Amino acid sequence: MTHIIQVAILGLLLGGVYALMASGLTLMFGVMRIVNLAHGVFIIAASYLAFFLFTGPGWDPFLSLVVTMPVFFLLGLLVYRMFFPRIEESPRFGEMTVLLTFALALIVEGLLSYFFTGTFRSTSPSYATEAFLIGDLFIPKAQLYASITSLILLFALWGFLYFTRTGYAVRATMQNRTAAQIVGVNVRRISTLSFGIGMALAGASGSLISFLFPFFPNSHWRWIAILLSLIVLGGLGSLKGAIVGALFLAVAAAFVSDQFGPTWSPMTFFGALFLILLIRPRGLFGEKARVG
Amino acid sequence: MTKVDKADPAATPTRPMTETTSSRSGRVVVIVLTLLLALLPLARPLIGQPHNYVLQIGMVGLMWVALASSWNLIGGFTGYISLGHNVFYGIGGYASGLILLYFGLSPLLTFPIAGLIAVVFGFLVGLITLRTRGPAFIISTIALLLMVGLLFDNWEFAGGSNGLSLPLPPFSLENVKIPFYYAMLVIAIGSVYFGYRVAHSKFGLALRAIAQDEIKAEVAGIDTRRMKIAAFSLSAFWVGAAGAIWGYSLTYLRPSIFFTIAIAAEMVLMSIIGGRGTVAGPVVGAVLLVALNEVSVSQFGSNELNIVVTGVIMLIVLMFFPMGVVGTLRERGHLPGFLDWD
Repeated sequence: MTHIIQVAILGLLLGGVYALMASGLTLMFGVMRIVNLAHGVFIIAASYLAFFLFTGPGWDPFLSLVVTMPVFFLLGLLVYRMFFPRIEESPRFGEMTVLLTFALALIVEGLLSYFFTGTFRSTSPSYATEAFLIGDLFIPKAQLYASITSLILLFALWGFLYFTRTGYAVRATMQNRTAAQIVGVNVRRISTLSFGIGMALAGASGSLISFLFPFFPNSHWRWIAILLSLIVLGGLGSLKGAIVGALFLAVAAAFVSDQFGPTWSPMTFFGALFLILLIRPRGLFGEKARVG
Repeated sequence: MTKVDKADPAATPTRPMTETTSSRSGRVVVIVLTLLLALLPLARPLIGQPHNYVLQIGMVGLMWVALASSWNLIGGFTGYISLGHNVFYGIGGYASGLILLYFGLSPLLTFPIAGLIAVVFGFLVGLITLRTRGPAFIISTIALLLMVGLLFDNWEFAGGSNGLSLPLPPFSLENVKIPFYYAMLVIAIGSVYFGYRVAHSKFGLALRAIAQDEIKAEVAGIDTRRMKIAAFSLSAFWVGAAGAIWGYSLTYLRPSIFFTIAIAAEMVLMSIIGGRGTVAGPVVGAVLLVALNEVSVSQFGSNELNIVVTGVIMLIVLMFFPMGVVGTLRERGHLPGFLDWD
């Protein structure tokens, strides 16, 4: 029994971080209908930033959040303005965003591997190998701290979306872009801002995973596949779905990994994706698919 | 985002369906080109020493022609972007490789079987992934690629991530490229011809209708689900066959050869650069990119910057010429007859 609780706790702790990673992706899809295949590679890029802050000036990965978040926020504004207004009028916008961000992902991945090589990296703060022992339960400090930070950030995101005027505008745009525009929301500005926030969340995730999982440039494909499976499972564009999906699947993955070995844990996410497509193609919390 | 009235790369009606033959010069060009390609292995006295190199490049080019043309069937005509199409490439490669190891039959003979196995697999996958559309479909194809890659990495019977060594082909070193070249030529011609026939069939018309507006297509009485699954699984055939020949020509199989997303990226890029949803487009795109790759590798060496180049080209094409070479030229009415294969 203790063993089962132990595995569930480890899964839940990682689930918090998965939820943070998926929330940025969901926000971008919800507000702008952008499927950002480059989300994973930006997370990895942020991990590199955290890594160099750690190995250079010796900053703790948590401290690096104050750099990665604003840097990636600004990068997000820039990326959005550079690429997306141009394809806004495209008849197949959704598909265009996938291909465009796919191209971006290839470029960033190539640059990362050119400059930083394909070696595995990770930051190694002292708590990365320590743990709290509560009775028989073993709670790794790194996972715990990362999970708490994720929850704080998700909570801040929730507060922003539900209690600020800009947040209302973001949610209005998520619900109905045209109607939001009619009631006076500057949709272009809100979209740029949301993309920036999504990227800031990617930046934060990058700092956090820098000490949780060893990374190398090519590893972002596995991440993006996991995250995308997650948000399809939750229902594309549903923040609640993404978070529930992340927690649930992270626990499931922890059990799979416990039973069959860690190699198979990504399989949980892909398997769940195919299962959900079989029984409920629109995802757990997804709206009924609209035409177009 | 239903703005179907605008120019649409995937759904531009190419020609009135009554006209079933391609332009005269287009047909002449295709026949002459095919004859020249078929005679290339006999040109050793003309080319001399680099002959094997020429044949190797030719084989690679023909392989990409087949891959891009097949992708075009689902990604171009039907408008369903698959970013995991190299799954079929790997399955074909492994199918023929395993047949060679266990039954001793050469992949040069069994590549159609590899293609059929890929079709069956595509059908089963399509039953699930084609329940959804748009972004969710694309995502499911990426997940498929990673999932199958993971399975092959850990499947001991198929050698796991170390892969399998295949017996060397029983040909003299001097002539070893020739059979592979001819097999790829057959596959490339087959895939282009198949694309042409589909474009001029009722099936192709149904696929284009789905690309333009799936709901209207459904209302018009098209069994869209069946059509999509058919397009998806049929598009796997030549991809699987090409994988069989490619794996044997390398004489070893390893998951990292087949299941990397960069291969899917190239397929998509070639098809888009040339012009999605046209017959000549993927061929033009494949030739352009293989040539470019040859130049860039000889100039800058083979390194990480190659995928940066792929990405940059893709970005530029998407933002400025989303209809590709053939599509853009046709829209402006400047398509030269020799590129008009539709």
